Amino acid sequence: MEKPDKKTILMKFNLIICLLLSAFMQVNAEIYAQKVTLNAQDVSMEDVFEAIKKQTGYVFFYNSEQLKDIRVDVQVTNSSVKETLEKCLKDLPFSYKIIENNIVIKSEGKMAKTSRRGSSQENIVVNGVIRDTDGNPLPGATVHVKNDRLKSVTTNVEGYFSIQVVEGSTLVISFIGFEPQEVIAKRDAQFNIVLKESESELDEVVVVGYRTQRKETLTGAVSTIDMSSKETETITHASQALYGTTGVWLNQAGSKPGSDGAVIRIRGVNTLSGNNPLVLLDGVEYSMSEIDPADIETITVLKDASAAIYGSKSSNGVILLTSKKGKAGKPRIEYRSHVGLQNATYLPDVVDDPILYMQMRNRAEFNSGKLTGTYSQEQIDEYRAGMSIDPSVYPASNWFDITMKQGMVQQHNARVSGGSENITYSIGLGYMDQQGILITNDDAQRYSFNMKLSADVTPRLKVSAGLTGNVRTYDEVGYGTSTVMGVIMRGLPIMSDYHRNNVYGSTWLYTPGRNNIENPRMETEQGFTKRDYQEFLSSLTLDYKLPFDIKYNGVFGYRKIDHWSKDFIPLMYTVNPKTGDQKVFNSTATSPRVKDWDAYNKQYSISHRLVWEKLFSDKHLAHVMFGQDYQVNDNRSFQAYNAGFYDNSLQELNALKDQTNAQATGGSSLDKLASFYSRLAYTFDDKYLFESTFRVDGSSRFAPGNEWGFFPSISAGWLISEEDFFESNQINLLKVRGSVGKLGNQAVSIGSYNSEVVINTGYNYSFGGTQTGGAAVSALNYRDIKWESTLSYNIGIDLQAFNNKLSVTGDYFYKRTFDILRSVGIPSQVGGLTGPTLNLGTVDNKGYEFGVNYRDQIGAFDYGVNASLTYVKNEVVDIKGEERISGRYIIKEGYPINSYYLYESLGYYQSQDEIRDAQAVYGTRTKIRPGYIKYANQNDDAYIDDQDRIITGSTIPAYTFGFGANVGYKNFIVEAQFQGVSDVDVYPTGNVAFPFNNGAGVTYEWARDSWSETNPNSAYPLLTTYTDGGENFINSTHWLQDASYIRMKNIQLGYVFPASIANKMNIDRLMIYVSGQNLLTISKFKLWDPEMTVTRGDLYEYPNLKTFSFGLNVSF
Amino acid sequence: MFLSKTIKDKQMKTTNIYITLIFLSSLVFSSCDLEVSPTDTYDQETFWYGSKTAQAGLTGCYAALRSQYLYGNASVLWEEAASPNAFNYDNRLGWNSIALGTHTSDLSIITNRWSAAYTGIGRCNLLIDNIDKSKELSQIEIQQMKAEARFLRALFYQILITYYDKVPLIVEAPNIDQGTLGRTDRTEIVDFIVSELDEIANVLPLRYTSSASNGRPTRGAAMALKARLLNFEASPLVNTTNDRSKWEAAANAAEAVINLGVYQLYPTYRSLFTASAENSAESIFDIQFIPEVGMGSSFDVTLRQYNNSAPLQGLVDAYWMMDGKPRSQSAYQNSANYENLDPRFKQTIVYPGSVFMGETVRVDGTNVNFKVIQTGYTYKKYSIYDSEVPAANDVSVGDNFSGINYMVLRYADVLLMYAEAKNEMGELTETSWNATVRPIRQRAGFSAASALNYPGSNADLLSDHIRYERRIEFAGEGYYYNDVRRWKTAENELNKTVRKSDGSAIITRTFNKDRDYWWPVPSSQLEQNPALRPNNPGWGNE
Repeated sequence: MEKPDKKTILMKFNLIICLLLSAFMQVNAEIYAQKVTLNAQDVSMEDVFEAIKKQTGYVFFYNSEQLKDIRVDVQVTNSSVKETLEKCLKDLPFSYKIIENNIVIKSEGKMAKTSRRGSSQENIVVNGVIRDTDGNPLPGATVHVKNDRLKSVTTNVEGYFSIQVVEGSTLVISFIGFEPQEVIAKRDAQFNIVLKESESELDEVVVVGYRTQRKETLTGAVSTIDMSSKETETITHASQALYGTTGVWLNQAGSKPGSDGAVIRIRGVNTLSGNNPLVLLDGVEYSMSEIDPADIETITVLKDASAAIYGSKSSNGVILLTSKKGKAGKPRIEYRSHVGLQNATYLPDVVDDPILYMQMRNRAEFNSGKLTGTYSQEQIDEYRAGMSIDPSVYPASNWFDITMKQGMVQQHNARVSGGSENITYSIGLGYMDQQGILITNDDAQRYSFNMKLSADVTPRLKVSAGLTGNVRTYDEVGYGTSTVMGVIMRGLPIMSDYHRNNVYGSTWLYTPGRNNIENPRMETEQGFTKRDYQEFLSSLTLDYKLPFDIKYNGVFGYRKIDHWSKDFIPLMYTVNPKTGDQKVFNSTATSPRVKDWDAYNKQYSISHRLVWEKLFSDKHLAHVMFGQDYQVNDNRSFQAYNAGFYDNSLQELNALKDQTNAQATGGSSLDKLASFYSRLAYTFDDKYLFESTFRVDGSSRFAPGNEWGFFPSISAGWLISEEDFFESNQINLLKVRGSVGKLGNQAVSIGSYNSEVVINTGYNYSFGGTQTGGAAVSALNYRDIKWESTLSYNIGIDLQAFNNKLSVTGDYFYKRTFDILRSVGIPSQVGGLTGPTLNLGTVDNKGYEFGVNYRDQIGAFDYGVNASLTYVKNEVVDIKGEERISGRYIIKEGYPINSYYLYESLGYYQSQDEIRDAQAVYGTRTKIRPGYIKYANQNDDAYIDDQDRIITGSTIPAYTFGFGANVGYKNFIVEAQFQGVSDVDVYPTGNVAFPFNNGAGVTYEWARDSWSETNPNSAYPLLTTYTDGGENFINSTHWLQDASYIRMKNIQLGYVFPASIANKMNIDRLMIYVSGQNLLTISKFKLWDPEMTVTRGDLYEYPNLKTFSFGLNVSF
Repeated sequence: MFLSKTIKDKQMKTTNIYITLIFLSSLVFSSCDLEVSPTDTYDQETFWYGSKTAQAGLTGCYAALRSQYLYGNASVLWEEAASPNAFNYDNRLGWNSIALGTHTSDLSIITNRWSAAYTGIGRCNLLIDNIDKSKELSQIEIQQMKAEARFLRALFYQILITYYDKVPLIVEAPNIDQGTLGRTDRTEIVDFIVSELDEIANVLPLRYTSSASNGRPTRGAAMALKARLLNFEASPLVNTTNDRSKWEAAANAAEAVINLGVYQLYPTYRSLFTASAENSAESIFDIQFIPEVGMGSSFDVTLRQYNNSAPLQGLVDAYWMMDGKPRSQSAYQNSANYENLDPRFKQTIVYPGSVFMGETVRVDGTNVNFKVIQTGYTYKKYSIYDSEVPAANDVSVGDNFSGINYMVLRYADVLLMYAEAKNEMGELTETSWNATVRPIRQRAGFSAASALNYPGSNADLLSDHIRYERRIEFAGEGYYYNDVRRWKTAENELNKTVRKSDGSAIITRTFNKDRDYWWPVPSSQLEQNPALRPNNPGWGNE
């Protein structure tokens, strides 16, 4: 190959890839022409095939079971493949067939086991002794028939067992801490079984930054989740697999169909914005919510400086998803399915008795100083009398009951995987359907597809390709979920549920704050938002073995997102149920209206690296890696809108010729990231582990000159248990490890260093009746912003003991985030502009995490318990002495990020005398009466004002914890996982949280426990309306509530069918289970699910759901 | 050679692959292009070069007027409800808290009016500092555009000092250092506004030749704004020593507007507030609303449906009779409710038993197309609705969709400012009266001589007449809250129980005379910029 002109390559990158691939092809073609030379005695057929494959490239297909005991002698020199095979298979009951580059070996005779098994369907007694490698007997080990745990015995003190089974069945011998073994039951056999000590899960290979590594040799704080352990949990989104992972706070606020409401925080909240971890799927950046959990094999969470190799996006931790891949062997078909019923975990207890509601509202108004109540006594009397006569005029509506139903979720996944030694494949298909709990416009479907193909093209080259796709469609209520949730929470019992011919009942009673022509059912049923979301990731991975033990690895990814939505709002009508007056609910000027929106994002990434790894003198393992990544994100969107359709029947933009109201908008953004990185690692004698990484990242989000950031890390580990001086029969592994590194964050919006003048309809104005386009600057910008960085320190210890039954992991961590990118508040006098984003501030997160796992087996029982605890203390260290106050929240040195900043409530005024002498906020005493909240004057000056607020409470939980247990008995499995957080507070506001909030209703709690002279220490102050009794609803500690909780996240009971039954159906394994999610929650906070968006304020989000499901997992 | 067991040909291929990989690597190294330039926004530097962009920048300055915290949405109507004229039951933007005297320094309108005005000021400052960079505009165009921006900036400052007293005076394009500036003395701000208005009055045209320029300030607008400012400065709230020269300055400023000779009263009172009278000779400066999405006000829906600027019985009782006398002194004192009143009553207020939108008005909320349930009343000034059944498309005009312009400054106001200033100086002569109050009453529909003729030179009596005129002529236009403040009568008028049409009490309002004449500087601003402390009297740490 001629050395091509460099410029041409630069321009024609794709061409190079093609050339590269075609080069491989040529190599291939040539290899098939090779001749075979073999010289071996007493080798297995498989070894022969392997040798032929190596020399020729032919791939063999055969049944290894049939061939495994056959050994041959073979001697050929420069023979053709045909000749070689003929020699080998001579006198053996096998034939072969060459199909293109594949060779298929077929069995001729009936020497397979099946014939023998067919004649021996009778019970035999099998005896044996089980010992460890040192020859000591193993008492208490289990022997059971494969897939039939009912048929099981345990060994006695001498390690002896005896079991009666069908001849030919497979026996599984297992003992905790040892690798299980399988034997075939033969008549008159006396088994002498030696169990090898398992190297436990530490022997597992885990995916870490640009590398796989044995868990034992890790020096970083890394959590791994093996998805096969979650097979009976009805996980609808991948994020849910993270519950209970040490160091991870997962908060799922709301279970809206079609969306993953989870927020993931790893080891606290580092910074003031941009706290999401980086997620990569098979090495390419992807979104956690767009992969079907059934397609994931393992999840790795990098929590400390081990993430530093990901540089600029690593400071919030990195989550690595590995999708399932095929294994060589016969095709394996798996099918998983579950169906569940869903209901809201918490709904507010609103007053749905109309008479009580009206009386309470009147009382609240009088209590707030109003001199007349909204509802007259005549109206109340009429209502009471009418209720039994005409409930559509005199309703008692509970709008949660009316607008909600039981939801349903079903999920099905099928996967076929397998392969030969050279090619493996795995293809998965998934379907999920969720019918939400709103009566209509609340459903979602997900169709997912996942394929992974891997081929050893030559002995040096391995090519893998992956395609993951996700198509989601979902329907939402027309006005949007949070709006409609607010509307439902604003429903009053006096509003009529009349609905016929798309006309809905309103109310004949006037209520202030309402336009009195509303109906929550109407706003749920009428109109819709339809969404269609597609996300695809295709990736190509090349592994090539270069000379000098250097390996090349390249990953080329292309990810595309297409998100389309259509909103339709028809003209809606309500009718006064008493007078029959029909009203148009929404404006005829803007309805019926249609909005079509489409966003199109593409991300392409190139990642490649060279790795050199070599073991010297059996003791020194050296590893050197250089790599580079380049990623471009290109996002575009457009939207079209039109209104004023003739009627509600047509919903497309072209159904309206009138373009007066038409609007078209759109936008684009481009984001580039270039990286160079390296790792140097050295391990001595599997005892001393050292690693260092370096990464340089350049981002287009910063101005020229500030694009580049440097992120190094070092880490080390010491396997004490490998030392000669360390002698313990109890402790199998003891390791200490530590890491220090600098991690980056580019969490700043695109172009924020630019001083921009924005064109926006909000800046338009009309002159002489004509709308004129305007432009304005909306933000002050600072050009010299640079990378935000986190210095991360970690010390950890890993311990395995008692035959690896117990494993304990503990970590102490300290993270200091500095140069925090944050938009600074500036006084409005600076042009009313949004403040610039600056590198300002330092935040510390200190804490520890602790995980423990114990599993054991007693006869037919096996059981396990696990627990994890994470403590994080968040503290703002430096923000230049500023106080950043935003409503109820403050960011101040010495306190956690976004602490609450509130007036302190001192209980209630109990008498008029007390009020006369009291100070009130800003001195406004005029409306205060007994039962109103009393606030503290903190600085003892003449006023209670904004300077008298205190810093209290936290929006970040200090503790997150999880614990669980599982018990298996014979064929049954019972498992429960609990999870919770503590030391976190919420401040609920809005409809439902506050009484009669701008025309909304009230909860029964206010009826039961608000202040009165006879109930002076009530939970709630004197009943007032929120609108008129503002003095009680000043941001104060009175309304701050503890949102700590413990929740039974998951509980399940599973049953594995005995092999005797399963085999009759030609099934390898069949399991059925029932499970429940979120069935039990313990919390002081009762108004709403405590697992909510803590800083949201109002409660207008989709409820969390509890699910009761039935499922089955089957594999062939 | 590295591959000992392979044939030469293969070895070469491998070498080629190796070379290719190295190239591939170098490719990526060289292609790390991080340059990104936005294609949807302008850079501040080049933005002012073009004429269309610069015009858009000026339009953005005007757009600040549409903020619901200044003149947008139904702001004017809610402000009316902070006065003794009307009631805002749902505490929109906190206006009812102000009426009740229970407001705090983090109240929505208090926080946001401050920032909305400074948003406008920032845009104007940016334009004034940068428009000279233009490569396409002529000097004349630049001067005109600067003058418009300077007018708007003067208006925003006038608004600020009307409510907050001293504020930071910032006259340069926004920069971070402005964030630590403290409050400037009131007189310095007043002097600045006056000098600005004097200067631009010489630049701005008397009239625009094209109706496409309707909405832009004229020479008269600058002069009328100056008159309003000086009127406020001469009033008891600010002019605590009753310095006569201040009234003189106010009178002169108003007189100068009158002397321009371009303004006159619109012939009929009710139709002045309809689309047909937009940009009439009475309008000096107005907010241009049009019935397009987001570009209108919310007057119609507010008056028709929300009823959250509901006229109070106190306002209805304040209307004199058609002979120009209060009911107790009038020949018509025994008239039925709502009858024989000042003709402006029926042109301003929808009352029980009258016909509105084709229906007889009922206080119980059973009207189909509107509600007057809060007090029994609503305003119809500035509404497209009146007694007739509205056209089908107009029945439910929604938020920010009402197209009638709101007059910030109108000629009747200038006439009454002149009369007031003259009277405070003891110089309201019959001639002056006949040039000011009389034509306003005539236009209103009064015919009785007792209502039109000069009532004599008693300054107190004249003051009663002028204050009556201001309250009634401008009822529903949001003027009265500032009038009762500057006259220092709020402590009487806002310490009252407010009532519905049937006389039933709604709530008792309070007004703390030591605190409530000025709004506090918003607490969020004090938090961001401690140099703004101390706050106004009665608002904490002084």
